[in-house]
Amino acid sequence: MTEMEPREADIDSLLRRSMAAPIPSLPPDFDQRLLREVRRTGPLLDRYRQILIAGYGLTSVVASAVVMRGQGLDWGAIAVMILGPLVLVATVSWSLRATHRKMRHSAD
Amino acid sequence: MESDSQLVARAQSGDQQAFAELVRHYSSLVFRLAVSILGREFIPEAEDVTQEVFFKVYHAIESFRGEAEFSSWIYRITFNQAVNLKARVRFREPHMDEVVLYRMVSPEPGPQRQAETAQREQALAECIQTLPEVYQSALRLYYWLGTGIGEVAALLGVPENTAKSYLHRARQLLHGLLKEKGYSCD
Repeated sequence: MTEMEPREADIDSLLRRSMAAPIPSLPPDFDQRLLREVRRTGPLLDRYRQILIAGYGLTSVVASAVVMRGQGLDWGAIAVMILGPLVLVATVSWSLRATHRKMRHSAD
Repeated sequence: MESDSQLVARAQSGDQQAFAELVRHYSSLVFRLAVSILGREFIPEAEDVTQEVFFKVYHAIESFRGEAEFSSWIYRITFNQAVNLKARVRFREPHMDEVVLYRMVSPEPGPQRQAETAQREQALAECIQTLPEVYQSALRLYYWLGTGIGEVAALLGVPENTAKSYLHRARQLLHGLLKEKGYSCD
C-alpha cells in the first residue's frame, strides 16, 4: 500500500481492529456434494429440455406449414412466413447482445 | 498443471473431471467473494451463492467463448448473484449480529470501555453498509478476509490501482461518516 495521511491511517487501524473476526470457509465436503448434485441433475435435465424445445419447435413448424398449405399458399410463401420471424428474432437478440457488450466496454 | 483455458475446453466437451478441477480451484475464491459482498451475518447464504454460481457455470460453460478470462467470467457471475441475493435478504434477521462477532475476538478490559468500543463498532458497521457494493466488498476482502490487493483486484475484475483507490475512497468516506455520527477514529 502507498503512504497514508494520518487520518486515513487512523481509520485503517480502526478497520483492522474492528473487522478482525474468524474467517469463514466452505465445509470440507462442499466440492464433493456440489459435484454429486451437478452430475445428478445437470446433463439429464439439459437433455430433456433440449429434446422438449426441439420437439415443440418442429411440431409447430410442421403444423403451421400443413395449415398454410391447406389454405392454398405456395411453398415459397410458407417458407418466408416461417423463416422470417426466426431471422427477425435472431437478428434482434444478436444486436441486443452486441449493444450490451459495447456498453460494458465503454463502462469499463 | 493445466491452464484454465485447457480445463474449460475439456469441460465444454463434457469432461466431468475437468469441471471438478475448476470447482476445486475456484470454490474457495467464489465463496470468499460472495462472503465479502453479503457480509459476515449471511455466511450460509454465501455458501448457497457459491453453489448457484457453479450450477450456472456448468449449464453455461458451452456458451463461454473465452473472450474474457474464465476467472473474470466466474467472478462476474458471483458478484451479480451475491448482489441480487443481498437485495432480497437485506431486511431479514441476520444469523449472527456483527457486534457479537466483534466481541468474540476483541474483548476489552472495562465494561465502560467495552460499551464504547461496541457502540463505535456498531456505528462503523452501519457506515460500511451505506457504501457502494464494490467498496464494501473491497473492505471486507482486505481487512476481514486478509486478501492481498492483487487478489482483491482480480476478484472485483478491476486493475490493482482501481482496487487501491476503492479502499482509499472507502476509508475517506468512512472517516467522514463516523465524524458525522460523533465518533473519532483513533
